[in-house]
Amino acid sequence: MAAVEAPDYASGPRWRDLNRIFQREGGFHKDDDEPYNPEAQREFIKNKGKILVIGAGGLGCEILKNLALSGFTDIHVIDMDTIDISNLNRQFLFRASDVGKPKASVAASFIMSRVPGVTITPHYGAIQDKDTSYYSQFTLIICGLDSVEARRWINATLFSMSDPNEPDTFVPLIDGGTEGFKGQSRIIIPGLSSCYECSLDMLTPQTAVPICTLASIPRQPAHCIEWASLLEWPRVFEDKKLDTDDPEHISWLYETALQRAREFNITGVTYQLTQGVVKNIIPAIASTNAIIAASCCNEALKLMTNMHNYIDNYMMYTGDEGVYTHTFQHEKKEGCPVCGEKKTTMMEVEAEWTLQELIDKLKEKPDVQLKRPTITKNGKGLFYQAPVQLFESTKANLEKKVNELMQSGDVIDVTDPGLPFSVSVEIIFK
Amino acid sequence: MASIPPSGVPSSKEKKYDRQLRLWGANGQNRLEAAHIALVGATSTGCEILKNLVLPCVGEFTIIDDKTVEESDLGTNFFLDEASIGKSRAERTMALLAELNPDVKGNFINNNLHELLETQPELFDPSTTKFTHIVVVSPFLTSDLLRLPQSIPLCLVYSVGFVTSFRLALPTHCIVETHPDSLVDLRLLSPWPELLEYATKQSAGLDAPESEGGMSDHQHGHVPYVVLLLKYLEDWKQTHNGSHPISYKEKNEFKAFIQSHMRTNVPGGSEENYEEAVAAVLKHIREPELSSATKAIFADARCAEPPANGDSFWITANAVSQFYSSPSQGAGVLPLSGSFPDMKAESSVYVELQNLYRARAQRDASLVFANVQATLDRLSLPTDSITLDDVTNFCKHANFLKHIDYCPLSDAFSEKPAEGFKDAVKAAWENWDAEDGLVYDYVALRGWQMFLDTHGKPPGVEDDSVENDRDEVSSNAQAFLKSVGIEDTISGTRTEKVVKELVRAGGGELHVIAALVGGIAAQELVKIITKQYIPVNNTVMFDGGSSRSAVFQF
Ligand SMILES: [Zn+2]
Repeated sequence: MAAVEAPDYASGPRWRDLNRIFQREGGFHKDDDEPYNPEAQREFIKNKGKILVIGAGGLGCEILKNLALSGFTDIHVIDMDTIDISNLNRQFLFRASDVGKPKASVAASFIMSRVPGVTITPHYGAIQDKDTSYYSQFTLIICGLDSVEARRWINATLFSMSDPNEPDTFVPLIDGGTEGFKGQSRIIIPGLSSCYECSLDMLTPQTAVPICTLASIPRQPAHCIEWASLLEWPRVFEDKKLDTDDPEHISWLYETALQRAREFNITGVTYQLTQGVVKNIIPAIASTNAIIAASCCNEALKLMTNMHNYIDNYMMYTGDEGVYTHTFQHEKKEGCPVCGEKKTTMMEVEAEWTLQELIDKLKEKPDVQLKRPTITKNGKGLFYQAPVQLFESTKANLEKKVNELMQSGDVIDVTDPGLPFSVSVEIIFK
Repeated sequence: MASIPPSGVPSSKEKKYDRQLRLWGANGQNRLEAAHIALVGATSTGCEILKNLVLPCVGEFTIIDDKTVEESDLGTNFFLDEASIGKSRAERTMALLAELNPDVKGNFINNNLHELLETQPELFDPSTTKFTHIVVVSPFLTSDLLRLPQSIPLCLVYSVGFVTSFRLALPTHCIVETHPDSLVDLRLLSPWPELLEYATKQSAGLDAPESEGGMSDHQHGHVPYVVLLLKYLEDWKQTHNGSHPISYKEKNEFKAFIQSHMRTNVPGGSEENYEEAVAAVLKHIREPELSSATKAIFADARCAEPPANGDSFWITANAVSQFYSSPSQGAGVLPLSGSFPDMKAESSVYVELQNLYRARAQRDASLVFANVQATLDRLSLPTDSITLDDVTNFCKHANFLKHIDYCPLSDAFSEKPAEGFKDAVKAAWENWDAEDGLVYDYVALRGWQMFLDTHGKPPGVEDDSVENDRDEVSSNAQAFLKSVGIEDTISGTRTEKVVKELVRAGGGELHVIAALVGGIAAQELVKIITKQYIPVNNTVMFDGGSSRSAVFQF
């Protein structure tokens, strides 16, 4: 709990407007509910609500501001990034002089200086560095991330913490995401609602351009850029890892791609496109972040009190053509590897495929999408990504045909070093 | 925007705005930087809207507000601090918003709209004003609102507790860059001679086995699907009395026809280019057809006879329509977009084919450009006022254009509402599945505004007047309903509940809702200012309780 005196809702003139809404029963308070009790709500927000915000970027800055102005006083924020110049078009707690500093601490100090009485504890680091004892101290977690991997990790971690016999171990997660003029916000309550993993197939898996296209028949500027980053860079700089944040590396890729494009009479390679392709940049604007962050915090405020009903459980926003929202109940997926009862999904394969081909298809399978799959069957490893000894001892299997390694109807377990759960896949030969 | 230096490395400005330039480009950014927004009402909602415009670099803004900062402002508005208490709210919010982006110029006027309309009418007079867009946030008086000029785009915003709404009122809004999912038009059913010739050349020996002088497997697997489709369409016509596969059934037969020519004794058992061709049948084999939006533009009087003020949209639309109907130009088809999708092919063949589409698009655009020049000349306007680049961009989007004629605010807000407005409210109210519909919120909000117009303050400010105020707002809402010709009672409807929510807030804002509607309104303004993407027409209701929205054309 925060040491600083929390805002006084009962009489503080600063919180007059919020207080009024707390104090008066709303038009949608159901008669069969408990009588409206303003005191209990004020008490909760003031003394018990301890919130973790994951991400101090475009959504995170907005979320921190919104929580501070909704009466929450004990807020933590975790982010592993430092401030980049391209953040300044939307991450309004940062100035040009902050470039290079950790996002979490700059955001926290800004909010605390503007809103007295709120304590924001920053953590500069990766979410994976914290364990369940850290996450279990919060009453609510709000996620404003642009990484699918990180969301899958925190979702699975929160579910693994939940003990059906101990209601206090259930920490609800509110997740927001944006892309251009579109976004979504949702509430995930372990045990009750669907989870992040359930909706993985709503994302379009990234299909890789075949290597032979990059190597011999490029047609698009992006093909030339991928050739430069995936094939030329490792060839020219054998031991140097490509750093997509290093402008010199990007310049090299741009010039190399441009040269290749000229050879093939392909137009359209630019520095901007090069950066976009190799960093997989998603367009982001202030207004969309504002909408989604506000929606997340509105739901947080309603979830933590009974001042109004919260959503069950998903809202989509689309703004590129008019204004369109869709609010609906996203349903649990039966075979969900995180929250499902029957945690197996099915996959049809050709018996003639090599294990490598099967792995490539698995990466693209909408409800799997693991970046670095390790495959085991009945506890026996068929292929390991790491450590290097296991990789060496199993890599020969990659060339073997699927029907040499398994039979139709077998279940394989797929894991990824970045995720704390495994996906069981029933293999059916076509 | 500064041009890209020879090394290709972007300027610091391009770096800063990189994530938004990917959405609206230098074109949209230039328009944003030329805009000057007037914000009437330095509330939390107003400041949240401005924040979302200052960050992406709107050129200039002016805050109009006559309040002195009170401590209660600090509980909802992030752009005020302890040091602001007792000072001009316009000045302090301006300072804390301008601080977000040194590229933006901020101004303030410590006065209210009512006074300014009396004492400084030139501020809002279209012939003298510096404002390109006006944002008015609640609370405001309807009578002041109706005195604002119709020729300046206006955004009107309500944010009362959990209830929010905004309304756009602007002159006809014409959009070229609507950003559809795809601009591709392959013209497979009306190929021009050079394209057909190229396809014939590239498909020679396609169906013969290699041993009989046909293509090798490698060549066969790399014939681009556009060539395959053109070739098999010609073959199909020979056996179908010269007609194309048009119906769904015929298209499926055509798919099977293509499939039957695929080589299967190749590694993998199929050819990717043939699979691409089959997949493209439903999407790309279609008669060139005008979209309903472009049809509406061609039918507009302003397209037939462009206004003499030199509006480039209507002059270019006129030129495209001439192109479309002239037998020697488009002869019933629009200018080609020139956009060409990726497909399996050898690099050189792909580039040749892509260049054929690009050259045709250039040829079409130059014909349209000549039509534009003739019109400019006829209207005695400078012939360089519309460039070939503008025309090329217009032609690229010719089938995706959009124009929106907004209803004037007076239709909905004057004492005698327009018939069209009454009909629209009636239709929404009587919609049989609208029991939960947000039209009920709209009616409640109109009752709330009537209270404000009468008393000069919102309902529910004093704890002991809550019940009375609620009754008054309810009877106002009932009166509004009657004024649009609806005899139903609001008693027992959602409107009654929303009235309770409105009075609950006592005119106060909930920060999360202010931030939310601030985001939505700013997003609409960005679309209007950049003239890209499609803004809403014209009223949005958002209920923060159920997190639902609805759009009404009121
Ligand atoms: Zn799940």
